[in-house]
Amino acid sequence: MHKIWAQRKAEAAVQKLEQKRPAGSTPAERLLQKELSELVELKDTKIIPTESILKFNMLYRPSEGYYKGGEFEFKFVIGTNFPHEPPKVLCTNHIYHPNIDTAGNICLNILREDWKPVLNIQAVIFGIRMLFQEPNPEDPLNKDAAKQMVNNPQEFARIVKSSMSGYRIGDVEYDNVLVGLEHDKAW
Amino acid sequence: MKITITDWKDVAGWRWDVPDDEVCGICRVPFDACCPTCKIPGDDCPLIWGECSHVFHMHCLLKWLEAESSQQQCPMDRRPWVTAK
Repeated sequence: MHKIWAQRKAEAAVQKLEQKRPAGSTPAERLLQKELSELVELKDTKIIPTESILKFNMLYRPSEGYYKGGEFEFKFVIGTNFPHEPPKVLCTNHIYHPNIDTAGNICLNILREDWKPVLNIQAVIFGIRMLFQEPNPEDPLNKDAAKQMVNNPQEFARIVKSSMSGYRIGDVEYDNVLVGLEHDKAW
Repeated sequence: MKITITDWKDVAGWRWDVPDDEVCGICRVPFDACCPTCKIPGDDCPLIWGECSHVFHMHCLLKWLEAESSQQQCPMDRRPWVTAK
């Protein structure tokens, strides 16, 4: 009897969820729904859905590298032509990064010229994590940061740290993205 | 016993010649279903094989090849797309 009740409850919950987010009516929505439900669960990233399946945010806390200790937010917007065109992804924080400009544009090959429809959201997430674990100064959007990273990695690390605590560097004010002790806690 | 057959109905199944459970790499819909823009699977929504051995719903692949960014390459391996004969 208990089992039946539990099952009914679960069914009701699923139904409610489906009402909130009806099964995608366009091919892009259907594909996205499938992709999001099949995402590999990563300890350092969290997907935050919005009312539209075609828009969601992602939080990312790098566990290593120059950007460890920070939490970065990305805005994903997926066009109706997905997967024939890549998702549009912006970093919503002002950060000091060789491959990200202060408007949040991200220089990642698979978001531009190397996108192909057999790629998916998972690949984009892995690509973004990669950029934070190993920034790529060969292909910069923030040329000063890239130059600094190549010429003086120690100074680069120092600037990254102070930018992450919200300091103004040159004429750019950066966002405080530090999560402190929260960092190792589960989401 | 003698029986007389007065009527019968044939039923046949079909499927594309691809491994079980495989999906189109572009739309992720099973090959035996149709591409997302079609309604009925079958000859109206065929598959297309490349010489590189990759296979897609024809409509999905054509849509990709129409895009300039495709550079007429297979979306799997980025080699020039050549349809297998």
